Amino acid sequence: MNTPIKKTLIALLAIGSTLTVQASELSAEQIINKANQASFYAGDDGRSQARMKIIDDQGREQLRQFTILRRTKEALGDQQMLVFFSRPSDVRGTVFRVEKKIASDDDRWLYLPGLDLLRRISAGDKRTSFVGSHFFYEDVSGRNPREDSFALVEETDEHYVIDATPKDPGSVEFTHYRVWIDKTTFLPMKAEYRDGQDNLYRRVSVAKVETVQGHPTVVRSKVEDLRSGGATLMEFRGVEYDLGLPESIFSERSMRTPPTQYLR
Amino acid sequence: MRSQVIRFATEHPRRVFAAILALVIATAALIPNIQIDTDPENMLAHDDPARVFHNQVKSDFTMYDSIVVGAIADGPDGIFTPRSLLALHTLTSEILKLDGVVPGETLALSTSDNITQGAPGTIRFEYLMRQAPQTQAAAAAIGEAVARLPLLDNTLVSGDGKAAAIYVPLYHKEDSFEVAEQIRALITTLDSDDHYHITGLPVAENQFGVEMFVQMAISAPMAGAMIFALMWFFFRSVPLVVAPMLVAMATVIATMGTLIGMGFTVHIMSSMIAIFLMPIAVVDSVHIMSDFTDRYRAGDDAKAVISEVMEDLFNPMLFTSVTSAVGFYSLMLTPIPPVQIFGAFVGSGILLAFLISVLLVPAYVVRLKPATLDSMQARLHGESEHSGLLARTLPSLGRFAMNKHKALLIGAGVILLASLAGISRIQINDNPVRWFKADHDIRIADEVLNHHFAGTYDAWLVLQDNNALLDSTTRETLAQNLAAVGITLSQEALTPQAIADLLTELDDRAFSAEDDATLDAIEAAVAQLEPLAEQSRRFLDPKVLSWMAGLQADLQQSGLVGKSNALPDIVKTVNRELRSGKPEDFVLPGSAAGVAQTLLQFQSSHRPDDLWHFVSRDYRQSLIWLQLTSGDNQHMNQVVARIDDYLDAHPLPQGLEAHWAGKAYINVIWQDAMVSGMAGSLASAFVIVFIMMALLFRSPLYGLIAMLPLTLTIAFIYGLVGWLGKDYDMPIAVLSALALGLSVDFAIHFLERTRAIHKETGSLPVTLKLMFEEPSRAISRNAIVIALGFTPLLLAPLVPYITVGVLMASIMAVSASVTLLLLPAALTLLQRWALPTPSGKQDATAPQSNSGE
Repeated sequence: MNTPIKKTLIALLAIGSTLTVQASELSAEQIINKANQASFYAGDDGRSQARMKIIDDQGREQLRQFTILRRTKEALGDQQMLVFFSRPSDVRGTVFRVEKKIASDDDRWLYLPGLDLLRRISAGDKRTSFVGSHFFYEDVSGRNPREDSFALVEETDEHYVIDATPKDPGSVEFTHYRVWIDKTTFLPMKAEYRDGQDNLYRRVSVAKVETVQGHPTVVRSKVEDLRSGGATLMEFRGVEYDLGLPESIFSERSMRTPPTQYLR
Repeated sequence: MRSQVIRFATEHPRRVFAAILALVIATAALIPNIQIDTDPENMLAHDDPARVFHNQVKSDFTMYDSIVVGAIADGPDGIFTPRSLLALHTLTSEILKLDGVVPGETLALSTSDNITQGAPGTIRFEYLMRQAPQTQAAAAAIGEAVARLPLLDNTLVSGDGKAAAIYVPLYHKEDSFEVAEQIRALITTLDSDDHYHITGLPVAENQFGVEMFVQMAISAPMAGAMIFALMWFFFRSVPLVVAPMLVAMATVIATMGTLIGMGFTVHIMSSMIAIFLMPIAVVDSVHIMSDFTDRYRAGDDAKAVISEVMEDLFNPMLFTSVTSAVGFYSLMLTPIPPVQIFGAFVGSGILLAFLISVLLVPAYVVRLKPATLDSMQARLHGESEHSGLLARTLPSLGRFAMNKHKALLIGAGVILLASLAGISRIQINDNPVRWFKADHDIRIADEVLNHHFAGTYDAWLVLQDNNALLDSTTRETLAQNLAAVGITLSQEALTPQAIADLLTELDDRAFSAEDDATLDAIEAAVAQLEPLAEQSRRFLDPKVLSWMAGLQADLQQSGLVGKSNALPDIVKTVNRELRSGKPEDFVLPGSAAGVAQTLLQFQSSHRPDDLWHFVSRDYRQSLIWLQLTSGDNQHMNQVVARIDDYLDAHPLPQGLEAHWAGKAYINVIWQDAMVSGMAGSLASAFVIVFIMMALLFRSPLYGLIAMLPLTLTIAFIYGLVGWLGKDYDMPIAVLSALALGLSVDFAIHFLERTRAIHKETGSLPVTLKLMFEEPSRAISRNAIVIALGFTPLLLAPLVPYITVGVLMASIMAVSASVTLLLLPAALTLLQRWALPTPSGKQDATAPQSNSGE
């Protein structure tokens, strides 16, 4: 590589970074799209082993352990998901299946081996507890950016700070939330939710990020219910991307008979 | 010592005034630190096992004390109309914003979840009423949805569909009055024709505290004013009457100031200290003043006369004070802290009143101008002695007592027997809501809401699995398996949390394990731990849940509880909606895994933590919430008895234990303690007072005679309570001490004076004739002053104060009558032993039994 080109590249990069610092070449929507990409669309597909510790204000714990398989059908578009529960052992074999749709409501199914029941979960409120934790269903599958309006309120050295307001306030429990998006990874590092009296009552934050196969990946996060004092810690391990998960395993059959080779 | 005290008081009146004034100012300064406590839980000591368990249950199951707000609609559609529901919705949103309210635990239509079949094969979780419905059909649909949810039906909405409730949990129950006031203000702003009511034990207790304050500020001074007026009526001299009032005020202020200064809270009991002390404090000075005016003649040296009076009265007053104090000190033997404090401070207050009386009254008298004394004396001797009603009637009463002594004693025996029969009928019952009059808002709300709903009173039956998680052989193999992975098993008993931690640890190691051998060892340990964990989660076992459902069904059948709520209800409801939504699927799943997965679904709602009100996170404790329609402890006792019977017929599943908690149950515990404690303290006070009487009169016979008035008074009062069917509650219980103290006071004075006069006259009829002059008037006056002095209490809005007022009057009337009738009758009967004619003096009456005719 010859020196002049190298110099030019460095100069261009310098100009680029200056522009970034001066801000505003990215709109709030663009930042949110990048954040959505970084958090939910890394790789063509992926797998991770999740462990949730649900802690109440008195320090009492519950544990949930599950494996998530995710497959993206189209960039920033529809996705398929399977969630296989392994612990506590009495709920082992419980499976959630989600067909995430951008243009319409997601399709969700549930399989309960102890009752030998496979049920569709009606489209409805996605801001209900995810199996008793402080995470909502929506936190796991990703809230559709189309449901909020965004405004970039501040740029710090590390973060884009964006305020989000729901387009349908009646469908959610918050009046607005603020999210801090990392400028380099575009991962949302913190989100704070406020109620009708503008009280901060809920905080989702990232405690640890690791780069897996080139994708910055959240491996430890936390939700705090600031009213009750409870919190849920989520840990992801064994994260792998681009496993080549076939579309066919995201089916009813896999719910009853898990595709063990992809679950490891 | 006696002479020194009297001399000091008469020689240095200024110093006496200064010292008492200093005491009053010093103690009055402490009164602003007052802390009110109306929590019936404090009837039990902090370390009382029942209370400790109750609070443990509250913490384990995250139970808060709640205000219950109820709305009742009159229209044909009941509460399920768009307008009624909009008002409820608005009110709920506003309540959620109030400080002190636990928003996440507030239970209302708009904060609760519905679980339904969205479409065949589909389940749906959604808020029952996220927004208020716009149409009548939508409103009715909410009613139909609630009727399908057993946990909410008849709890959140009444069975008749007329009423709906909001349960407002509080972080601190002390805030309940303030929060209730704010809710009342919110209700007035609602656009609604529905009737709103607020109830719940914390509100009642807190409201009582507020009204008690008012009561203390009004009733006690009014009683003081009444006593002052009555004394003025009898003595016709303001300066004379001021002295007893000063004694009473100084005593009450010093006692209350000391109580507050020592950091004790003012409980409903201690709020009555002022009311109890005032009559007792007045009694001594009335005796002194009565005697003084009797002896003082114009031109006498007041100092000499008062010294003489004090010499005579010092001993009987000391003894009456000590015996009265003993009566109250005996309350310290009860196991109820507020009653102990009450007894201690009233007892000490009585001794203080004695001290202040013997110092202040003589000092006061010697400082009076001779002219004042003369005019006072003239008025008194001019009027009441010969023309007053008491002066005219008492002598004939004395003759009657002597002439009909046998009939009187037989009559007394009959009354005693009837009273004992009445006592056996006594209903022990207390209920803070009944502290309010029947027309008080709290009582009306209580009645209305308990009519419509399954009940606003809570009792909790807590089932616990106490089986060890690990036997010794399993422990050995587990320890080996863990050792292979490099984990040392703790020697302590294995807890569910320890199992969970071990599984997490093994899981972490599996991720980092390098070789197959380690993985195999991990697998072996996990394979052993997981079944242990599953076995430990006892309340996922359908057999256990089925047993609980059986108990609930029996309770429902008994009609004793409005409703019971427990884990099986949750499991069955979710299971039904997961399957078909039809009633035939309202059953328990067949396996523990099925139950666990059902509950995992329940937790996928907006209120996942509602589960933990019914089962602990380790599934080793479960709570059955019973809703009772009354807070009467008799009601609770019946429930406890019913469960005991059920447990006999249907033993608990192996290794389970059942224990009670909940406010309704806690009330039973302290009331039981109160009854047994009161009986014990009364019995011991009886014995001590008898011994003191026998010592005072240096005669066991006199000791026995002196016990007559108080025995009959106490028996009569409690017999009356039994016959009238009035509930025996805390104020009634402690009045026994007052009855004891005041009756014995009259008896001592009567007997002491009788003996003194008899020593001079040597004749019983002459003695008694003289006794029914001034001494009986003093007793009667005292009785009337105290009895009528407390009539202002009858106007109080709080029932316990009215009870005290009525009983105080009854006690005074009965004990004065018994003293004036029964003591002369008994002395007449027993005169050969009690008052033998001194040799050399001639007896005017035949000592035989025909003396009466």
